[in-house]
Amino acid sequence: MQNKLSFHQSSASLEIIGLPDYSNNENKDQISIISQWKLTIVDKPLIEGKIEHLGPIMDAFYIYSNLLIKNETPTYESKLIDIKADNLHTHNIFLKSSKPNVNPLNIKIGNTSLSDTINCFDQLNESSKVRIKNTVVSNYIPKKRSFGLINKVNFINFIMPPFIAIFSLILCSSIFIYFYNPLEDKEKNELINPK
Amino acid sequence: MPNKVTIWKVRNSNPLRKSYLNNNIKPNEFDALIKVTVEMSRYLYPYMREILKSKEVFDENSVIWSDFKMRFTELINERFNKDSMRVKKLLNQTENDEIIIRSLLTLSLCISNKGYQKMKKFLYDF
Repeated sequence: MQNKLSFHQSSASLEIIGLPDYSNNENKDQISIISQWKLTIVDKPLIEGKIEHLGPIMDAFYIYSNLLIKNETPTYESKLIDIKADNLHTHNIFLKSSKPNVNPLNIKIGNTSLSDTINCFDQLNESSKVRIKNTVVSNYIPKKRSFGLINKVNFINFIMPPFIAIFSLILCSSIFIYFYNPLEDKEKNELINPK
Repeated sequence: MPNKVTIWKVRNSNPLRKSYLNNNIKPNEFDALIKVTVEMSRYLYPYMREILKSKEVFDENSVIWSDFKMRFTELINERFNKDSMRVKKLLNQTENDEIIIRSLLTLSLCISNKGYQKMKKFLYDF
């Protein structure tokens, strides 16, 4: 008997079907071996596939939404899925079948369906009942940059004054080397003390 | 954030505001503001969804969209420094549609439990 878990967000719902991994002593309501998944968006054709398709599709949605927000050209292309923006409100999804001689499925969705779908994927990622390899994109948080950005000004203010002081000291000393002639100085000393 | 007054004070670290205070915002205050924003967007998600939907379906002639845009412009006029070029851009009727849609979409994508981390990432990439 297979387990079934659903994640809903307004117009989108994601269904995960699979089995627990009994070799890891998992609970019977857990899903670790996903056999099938179904993504339903209201008024749109059903999207379904196997586990190997779920990761790339989730990545595609995450990367595309990041591009969309960052004001870059929102276009994502891969072997399995292409997503392109028609305009600011409409997004074109082309799902390519792995089977030969099957035309790609074209689905047009709006911003609301896009955010609902991504929220379903977020729920799946956060669910303790489903074990799925987390996508690279959704988990990337630039920890090092966070404090670097905020403390950047303070660090520069701290390091700049001594740096300028040392640099000007070296510059002045190197200029005086050109004016000082040790031979001339020696001759002068000899003239003063002729011994 | 111990109380609302602290939130108000930290909120004034925004240089676009009229009542801008030039005090460096601390990392924990910045994190707290993000958390407040994400919690609010989770609570307001159905409304944000309706506003985005109204623009998708009716494009120019939506009552919901025009009401929201009017209120948005009013608040910006009231609280932000209108001499700033960035604020002028926010108030520009022909250009601000895109900014509003992008902002609403960003908030809509950060309503999950890990929405705080997502929002932080979006802000650093901005």
